[in-house]
Amino acid sequence: MANRIELQDIDPQVYEKEFSQPVHRVGSATCLLAILGMFLPPLWLYFQYGVFPPTKAIVVGMTLALTYAAPFFIIEPISYYPILGDAGTYMSFLAGNIANMRLPCAAVAQSVSGVEEGTKKGELIATVGIAISIWLSIIAVFIGAVATGWVVAIFPAPVQDAFKRFLLPAVFGAVFGQFALRGFRYAPVALILALVPLYLKWPGYTAIPLAVFGTILFGRIIYRPGKAVAPGGDGRP
Amino acid sequence: MNLDWKVVANEPWIWISGAVLAAIALYQCTYFMVHALRIMSRSGLQRREIGGIVRSAVITSFGPVMAELFVMIALVVALSAGFAWQREGAAVGSVVTELVQASNAAAGAGQEFGGKNFDMVGFANVVFVMNVSCIGWLIVAGLFTRYLGIARHKIAGGDTHWLSILSICATLGVFGYWTSTNLIKFTNPQGVPFGVATVAGGLLSIFFFKLADWIKTPRLKEWALGIAMFGGMVIGKLVAG
Repeated sequence: MANRIELQDIDPQVYEKEFSQPVHRVGSATCLLAILGMFLPPLWLYFQYGVFPPTKAIVVGMTLALTYAAPFFIIEPISYYPILGDAGTYMSFLAGNIANMRLPCAAVAQSVSGVEEGTKKGELIATVGIAISIWLSIIAVFIGAVATGWVVAIFPAPVQDAFKRFLLPAVFGAVFGQFALRGFRYAPVALILALVPLYLKWPGYTAIPLAVFGTILFGRIIYRPGKAVAPGGDGRP
Repeated sequence: MNLDWKVVANEPWIWISGAVLAAIALYQCTYFMVHALRIMSRSGLQRREIGGIVRSAVITSFGPVMAELFVMIALVVALSAGFAWQREGAAVGSVVTELVQASNAAAGAGQEFGGKNFDMVGFANVVFVMNVSCIGWLIVAGLFTRYLGIARHKIAGGDTHWLSILSICATLGVFGYWTSTNLIKFTNPQGVPFGVATVAGGLLSIFFFKLADWIKTPRLKEWALGIAMFGGMVIGKLVAG
């Protein structure tokens, strides 16, 4: 395969010292910095304009907001970690847009490079793919914010409508298709485990872990050490 | 209080606040990328191979980035340009999440977001709640990522092949869920185009990845997901009319 990347085996000690340790150090520090950064707008609003919300409004608003978001604080990092790895987790939860951009970029970078997911090489390549996508999305958001009128004028309404409504379903289907090729034995199980709770209208914070860990459990049950269950070589997407 | 929240929401303070978060995200991802490239180049990575990784990321990001651009239009209208930049620059959810959280925060102040009674107090609550309510993800990622790695290593027990299958199963589980959220729309006639876009995206992706192998053109894989996304989107839109 012409573009399969043939990396030499990476010494675990070198990887630990020169990648894992700096990643954890900078990853933790930047996430904690971003937490402080989240308090910047309300504090600035208070100091410049003298406006701060009443305590009751904060408590009620936060309760409503956390009821919506809190279960995902735990579920998403645990569910996405096997795909994103260490650096990918820090980057994705700091930059957002995980399912629609970070995960697909990590997956395609690994596929194009022909490395195995979950390995050190896979994580390094996914890191580069995710980092590029973060640069692109922040530039796009900035353009969107400063040049909304220009964007509206250039792209006709049907094109905007197509992107807004139908790109995301197509992204999800496309990534699922890519990995269905790679793990065709597990794909139907993943779909069934996701569709049943959705049909029964269970909340997302129960349906996502069920689909992720149920599929992993199924994979473990049918896995035989030493036998290639997932297709390699030509079968790799 | 005579301040107009839409004017305040577009002044330098909010643009700078957004730039601070974006700068942290850009510093972090660049630092990680440089370290990853350095260790890979010492392990035999060639310059043209770096080009392949970068190309695939750019192609795959292109569709979602364009979608992000159009989503920004909706947010700029709803939140103002400055506040939309501060919220979407980094550490954010989808536009729906953002608008739901804005509505929740306004409701906390006894107001309707963007409604006639929405004033600076409501806006201050929206700014506080939307920002502070999403730090949970950062706390978990910042403090517990290293332990997730240790847990994964213990579960895999050093079996790298099982680790690879575990990642594939996890990906299928995650995207099985998100795919299913659209497939379930087939049960409603108005939701059919969303289901069609999903299925078309999946089939096109399988086709192009297989085609790359059949015609022995691995570089097609850099484009496969991007083409499948656009194809699925166009087919969904055509079905919707």
